Amino acid sequence: MLEAGAAFVAWLGMSLVVLADGRRGLALGAAIATAGIALLVGQGAGLIDAGALALGGAAMVARRLTRGPGGWQLMPPGSTPRLVLCVAAGLLSLWVAFSVTTGAGAALRFGAMTVVGLSGARALFSNEPAALLTAVGLLALAVAAIAGAGEASPDPWPYVAAAIVAAGAGWVSVRTAHAA
Amino acid sequence: MLPESAEIVLLAAIALAFVFVFAPAAPRRSLLLRGGAGLAGTVAIAAVPTFELVVLVLLTLGVLHAAVDGKQSFAVRLRAPALAVAVFALGLVLARAAGPQVLERFAAVGLVAGLAAGIGLLPYLHPFDPDDSVTVSPIAWIALIGPVLATVVVASARGLLTAEAGGVFGAMLIGLGLLNVVWGGVAAWLTENTIAAWRYSFVADWGLALCGFGLTVVDGRRGALLVIFSIVLCRLPIYLASPQAPRARTLMERPINLVVAAALAGSAPFAGFAARVLLLRGATQLFWPLGLVLALGMLLWLPGSLRLGRSLGLPRGRQAIGVALVLALNIAVGLYPLPILEAARL
Repeated sequence: MLEAGAAFVAWLGMSLVVLADGRRGLALGAAIATAGIALLVGQGAGLIDAGALALGGAAMVARRLTRGPGGWQLMPPGSTPRLVLCVAAGLLSLWVAFSVTTGAGAALRFGAMTVVGLSGARALFSNEPAALLTAVGLLALAVAAIAGAGEASPDPWPYVAAAIVAAGAGWVSVRTAHAA
Repeated sequence: MLPESAEIVLLAAIALAFVFVFAPAAPRRSLLLRGGAGLAGTVAIAAVPTFELVVLVLLTLGVLHAAVDGKQSFAVRLRAPALAVAVFALGLVLARAAGPQVLERFAAVGLVAGLAAGIGLLPYLHPFDPDDSVTVSPIAWIALIGPVLATVVVASARGLLTAEAGGVFGAMLIGLGLLNVVWGGVAAWLTENTIAAWRYSFVADWGLALCGFGLTVVDGRRGALLVIFSIVLCRLPIYLASPQAPRARTLMERPINLVVAAALAGSAPFAGFAARVLLLRGATQLFWPLGLVLALGMLLWLPGSLRLGRSLGLPRGRQAIGVALVLALNIAVGLYPLPILEAARL
């Protein structure tokens, strides 16, 4: 039950990141998604690995709160396609994770697929560096979470590396493009 | 680290050193910093023990490369690496999950799509601006990071996928390879901009390499390795030795331009020829009509290579020494490729 709840929290947070354009909205979404992913990893891999992910996500959230477009900007005008994307991605991932695939770890599969799919979509369809870097950070955390989906117990390195990537993504200095 | 990957990392390091010494008017400081960072990334891709770490290194490289100063926006340049990471990750989830066999096939689709997006091949060509410097342009992905990424992904696919899905993976690589051979060959010939033609010639070469990786016989892998050798230590150095500014380009038809065109086209006795012979032999062993299609596709290199050879102009000074060294090295490997193949344990 806790696993299913954590997977839902991960989807909810990632959906917030897709639906928000302001730094507060992005930071809240990133915080919720990080909590969901860390809880999912904590159930399988262990508390230290989950803690590493949570730490990396927290550093990303702290940075996001200070940089990016101001305010919440939750569901600005024209957000209907994004809302549909969030619901559709959630339903598709739910079907694949709980119905098409079998075996333990369905919640982890659901959480990883929704975060990977939605952060990939956010990276493809956004132009704002703050949103892009938040999506990149969450994508890194989700990639590490997949390490726990295998049969063998994973090493801590993917979690540590993902935490570093997520924390570092917020600090990347993005320059504007030069017109020719 | 796989011996094949280690060898390609070494080739990439040699190519970078070569460019640093011989390229004309190269911005050496930026080349050293950005090329060094790219080389460190390729070493990391080859050295890390798990596929998740490979994907995370790829994501890091994608963000760093997109963030450097260029004519395209950060968002535009981040798209392809982010897409590559996302489809790799979805492929990994499906490969690790238990369920019907079709899941493994979808996992293979994810790995092939991620590979194409990561390198910058069709159908996920990276955005390209001919005015961008080399360190910022997609050439960095296609010629420096891509070769190591491809060998690591192909090796990882053997562990992640079952034999049946592995066959699907190989078939998709061959299909995608043929698409890139035809598209890259025709575009390198017909596109107006010479720098864009160079980029498409890399795409065509990569098509051959993908076909080699997709063939399940050892000659295919040998051919793919030699194609990668000719990308990293023939096409890349000659591209960088040629004048980058469109105004500085003069079309010459001296003997050296014809020799360079022959090297780029993969004619005898250069390394590209040995690669093509091995690929044709592997394809014929597997399914002879595929060999015929590949042979026809290889003819597409001729017009594009003649054009690119002429665009080199007349090399002088250090540039001439560099071009001569590249040609000599490619003749040596073309005549006696065994040390390169044995070093990769192929």
